Amino acid sequence: MISIKGVSKQFANETAIDYRDLEFKEGSSYMLLGASGCGKSTLLNMIAGILTPETGSIEIGGEDMTKKSQKEKDRFRIEKIGYIFQDFKLIPEMTVMDNIGILRLEKVDISGADEVLKSLGILDKKNKKVKFLSGGEKQRVAIARAIVKKPDIILADEPTGNLNFAIGEAVIQQLTEISKGKTLIAVTHDERLGKYFDFIIDMNEVTGGRRDV
Amino acid sequence: MFKFALKNMAIKKVKIVLIVISIVISACVGILAYNISEQIDSGFKTTAGYYDMIIGPSGSATQLAMNTMFFTEKPLGTISYEYVEELQQDMRVNKVVPFTMGDSYNGAKIVGTTPDFLEGKQVADGEMYDEKFECVVGSAVAEKYGLSLGDSLITSHGLAEGGSEHEGNPLTVVGILKSTKTAYDNVIFTPIETVWATHDHEEEGEEEEHEEHAEHGEICAILVKSKSFNSYNALKTQYSENTKLLVINPSEVLREVLENVDMSTKIVYILCLIILIMNIFIISVITLLNMYDSKKEIALMRLIGIGMNKINLVYIIQNGIIGLVSTLLAFAASRLCLLLMGSYVASMGIVLDTAKIYPMELIIMAVVFVISVLPTVICTVSMSKKDGISE
Repeated sequence: MISIKGVSKQFANETAIDYRDLEFKEGSSYMLLGASGCGKSTLLNMIAGILTPETGSIEIGGEDMTKKSQKEKDRFRIEKIGYIFQDFKLIPEMTVMDNIGILRLEKVDISGADEVLKSLGILDKKNKKVKFLSGGEKQRVAIARAIVKKPDIILADEPTGNLNFAIGEAVIQQLTEISKGKTLIAVTHDERLGKYFDFIIDMNEVTGGRRDV
Repeated sequence: MFKFALKNMAIKKVKIVLIVISIVISACVGILAYNISEQIDSGFKTTAGYYDMIIGPSGSATQLAMNTMFFTEKPLGTISYEYVEELQQDMRVNKVVPFTMGDSYNGAKIVGTTPDFLEGKQVADGEMYDEKFECVVGSAVAEKYGLSLGDSLITSHGLAEGGSEHEGNPLTVVGILKSTKTAYDNVIFTPIETVWATHDHEEEGEEEEHEEHAEHGEICAILVKSKSFNSYNALKTQYSENTKLLVINPSEVLREVLENVDMSTKIVYILCLIILIMNIFIISVITLLNMYDSKKEIALMRLIGIGMNKINLVYIIQNGIIGLVSTLLAFAASRLCLLLMGSYVASMGIVLDTAKIYPMELIIMAVVFVISVLPTVICTVSMSKKDGISE
């Protein structure tokens, strides 16, 4: 269970977002919809421990992320969270396996990489440099890197943002399939993908947008 | 960790090769300049120490000293052997060694002198010459021309290659000197009588254009070791009064030469320092730009949860490898340069020892290693204080 209570995040441009209390149940998938700047990505980053809210608490499995040190947050993220980014966050000059192998720096077991790549249909690309892959393939590599460590929570920040609808839909289908039994929170603009998720949350209603500080 | 660092380096190989070349050039110049200046300095000091006086025909003091100590330059001319006999009778003198030069073997100079001149030098193979037309060859000459005991050497007139050959008077190799890593390794030694006999025989049969050489009863210089400082002063005053003669103290002359060399060395050091400072700057800028390029990578790793200590370690390993490889290559390049320069410098009478390593060279290498790693440490430490997402 992820529990968001009284969270407010302030930004450098002197704006802030206040979040209504939210709960994400274990093993369910959530789609976060909303206008740009309403705080969808910020929420994911706070859950992942990349950003820290000014007020409130973010409890994951009873542990308050806001109380953890950066080192503890990093540890938590590498162990418990699989994060998929819109712009993939891959090293283009490295191969697919090397990009997944980065996790070994933190001694993460990636022995299931072949199986994950196979389930995503890109096993034959494992020794190819990422720069030679298509957008859809890159996103699948990013998904593979996020889930290979078998995280409890998968966060996906606009995973289809750089893909056309057909490919994006296929990626979401695979992502939701492969995330079964885990907590999946995905940010997307495309309401048509809502059918693949257990819950859809309109973030415009959760935050009401940015306010001046 | 190490494997990942290597993979990460492999994707930036062009940049890394440029960094390595930059470090190698600067470090090699620094190491080489120091090594050569030290070897020349110590070579001069060792050689100049024994004799306190050299007497030769009037002319350049430096030329006389360099000719007799390092066998470079041409002899100033000749003086009578009678001076040797006179000095041998003098009670103020400890040792008198005649010295003459004028012939060569394939460019290796032939020195006519007594075995006393080679005191302290060991004969590695064979024995010291005793008879006329016997010779002892320096180790480098023996190695270069594949000489062994019993070989006959057809010498030629003059100090450069291409002079008329003394075919009727070959020298027989009776000994090979142990390597001294000094100018002695490049020279052939024979009794002074050999030089006289060679030219006596030839002048009987033919007339030729002569370079400066000692006729019978003439020599190019006399090396003298006095019994005391007072004896030295008295002898110097006495022989200096003879206007046909030049009397020098080799230590004083070589000290003056060294001062000039020192000045050149200082200029080289200043240039090296400027090059090193420029390279420190260049290396730092390249490393910082490299780190700036790596910011995306670092941010990426932080976002997926890789701890900053692990990221620091990856980049320190990378730059450590670059620093270590560059430093070792710089050292290897300096030895290669020493080897290449050795044959050129040897012709001037100085033998460079490629195996000679001075502590300062190791310090230069350590400094180069540190400056190639330090910017990375500073950069990653400053990055670790920021949020991954803000990178």
